[in-house]
Amino acid sequence: MESTLASLLHGFAVALQPDNVWYAFLGCLVGTLVGVLPGIGPLSGISILLPVTFGLNATQAVIMLAGIYYGSQYGGSTTSILMRIPGEASSVMTCIDGHAMARNGRAGAALCIAAVGSWIAGTFGIIVLTVVAPPLANIALKFGPPEYTALLVLGLIFLAYMSSTSLVRTLVMACTGLMLGMIGIDNMTGHFRYSFDLPELGDGIGIVPVAVGLFGLGEILATPSTRVTGEVIAPKLRELLPNRREWRESAMPIARGSVLGFIIGIIPGSAHIISSFLSYALERRVSRHPEQFGHGAVAGVAGPESANNAASTGAFVPMLALGLPTGPITAVLIGALMIHGVAAGPQLVNEHPDVFWGFVASMYVGNLMLLALNLPLVGLFVSVLRIPYAYLYPLIIMFCIIGVYEVSHSIVDVWIMLIMGVLGYALRKFGFDPAPLVLGLVIAPVFEQSLRQSLIMSNGNYLIFFQRGIALSLLVASLALLLLSAASFMLRRKDWREKLKEAEAGEGG
Amino acid sequence: MTIRADHVAGAAFIAFGLAIFALSGELPMGGLSMPGSGFMPKLVAGLLVLFGILLAARAGESQPLTAIDWSDATHAALVVVIAALAIIAYTRLGFILTMALMMFAFLVVIERRNLVRAAIYSVAITLIAYVVFDKALKAPLPQGPFGF
Repeated sequence: MESTLASLLHGFAVALQPDNVWYAFLGCLVGTLVGVLPGIGPLSGISILLPVTFGLNATQAVIMLAGIYYGSQYGGSTTSILMRIPGEASSVMTCIDGHAMARNGRAGAALCIAAVGSWIAGTFGIIVLTVVAPPLANIALKFGPPEYTALLVLGLIFLAYMSSTSLVRTLVMACTGLMLGMIGIDNMTGHFRYSFDLPELGDGIGIVPVAVGLFGLGEILATPSTRVTGEVIAPKLRELLPNRREWRESAMPIARGSVLGFIIGIIPGSAHIISSFLSYALERRVSRHPEQFGHGAVAGVAGPESANNAASTGAFVPMLALGLPTGPITAVLIGALMIHGVAAGPQLVNEHPDVFWGFVASMYVGNLMLLALNLPLVGLFVSVLRIPYAYLYPLIIMFCIIGVYEVSHSIVDVWIMLIMGVLGYALRKFGFDPAPLVLGLVIAPVFEQSLRQSLIMSNGNYLIFFQRGIALSLLVASLALLLLSAASFMLRRKDWREKLKEAEAGEGG
Repeated sequence: MTIRADHVAGAAFIAFGLAIFALSGELPMGGLSMPGSGFMPKLVAGLLVLFGILLAARAGESQPLTAIDWSDATHAALVVVIAALAIIAYTRLGFILTMALMMFAFLVVIERRNLVRAAIYSVAITLIAYVVFDKALKAPLPQGPFGF
């Protein structure tokens, strides 16, 4: 514990250097704007700004990009509360009671509760991350190829179980991502796979064009400007503080949301989205006045907003300690670190303590900045929200093109982005969540390589996965989860998704 | 029989899986104990076909194909066409000319905005982006035949 504290102090020394404070501030500000603006999520924001970080060192880059991620969770609530449009997917639940509070003249209080809840949950998440990640990384140092293969299998099955769409839909998306991830030169044999004589495809398909296309462009294609209303409820600055009753009613939901969100954040899947849905359902269930939900219940804002922030922090645990992305955003962040020559994973703590601890400490600073930014600057965000969407989306498309092109100065990447945009549009129409596709894309090369290395280690004997304790435990956990999912699927029993949907429908009624 | 969304989606994934099999002909399969470079793609292609079949088999739970709202399709198609033209021109005409024309096309063709306002907005935003990325952030943008 003492060494953790000493390392954290070293992290603060790194994070509080003026340059790093500036990049944390920039990340938080851009993240808040990304969260505020409908039609552009944290993934697109991070991907578009990735080339901007090329001139920075790894610590500054990850501090800024992570600031965009958790900043967007703060910003998303502003649009939800003031416009009833989720600025970011994880803010969907905040629309219901947050906007109802705004209609009741409590917009300022709703914004304040969302910001304070986000700050408490974010800080709680970072404290747990500080304590948990280093020992987990030490355990992960014992991982060889068989353990990584088993871990990735468990990750994929967890993803299927926890994703917001059905099991088959998630698996088919993950397989599509795995397939795309196998394009390019096979590292083990040197064979070109599906590169169609395009040298640009030799290195494979990058995560940035896929992510920006699916999430950024795909969203724009599905959102004509006529569907985006510009009605904004502007709160007055003097009405920003909640009253005593509202503080009291928000305390426990913030605490529950923080714990629930962090736990869900560690699990692969669309954690920050799912966590807000589950938190809302939980708050309604434990409330003494469930009838208030949908009509401006304070807990309906405090719980989900805390949960999505804690989840976004929780997602950094497997990313930093194991090098395992739990969602497309952490996958892009891992990619960003790799561009700077730093591999996320168990070696990060020991080999790059400046990056690891500087990043962790910057999150304490960043969360505090966001609390300070969000409330006083609410007037600015209201002005941003009043910019007509018709003028906004051409700008976003321009940023998408710049962002994708600048990663490797390849026009093929920009074409891939456009194709992925069309695919993302079609997937939305047919009810598919593209997140598992991005995860599959990132996991594919690592999974294939660790599987083949394991088989080389064992002379082609698959028993290697059952002879090593950690790999065996991970595979048993995978099997248990798969059986649980398959039982719901085969018996057509309601799984957690249907139960949640029913709970939400009940709420609406 | 009513054609449902998942019938079409399932068929698309089956076709995708089969296309991968067709394209994987020359890749060495290897064996189960020593997989070659074609092993994993074919395995995943098989899973795609399997999940495609499962999706189509349970299509009754999805909405009818005709119930999908395609009212935004014209908007989407226009955005794709304009963006595709911009991508073709991007490295030929350079950043400033291409992006200004693309933004102008979005505002005039799709959004039916006032020509003068659209032109001023497109040029101003493109120039600001050029200064921010190319000059301030030192992220070089494509140059056109006129040197910008």
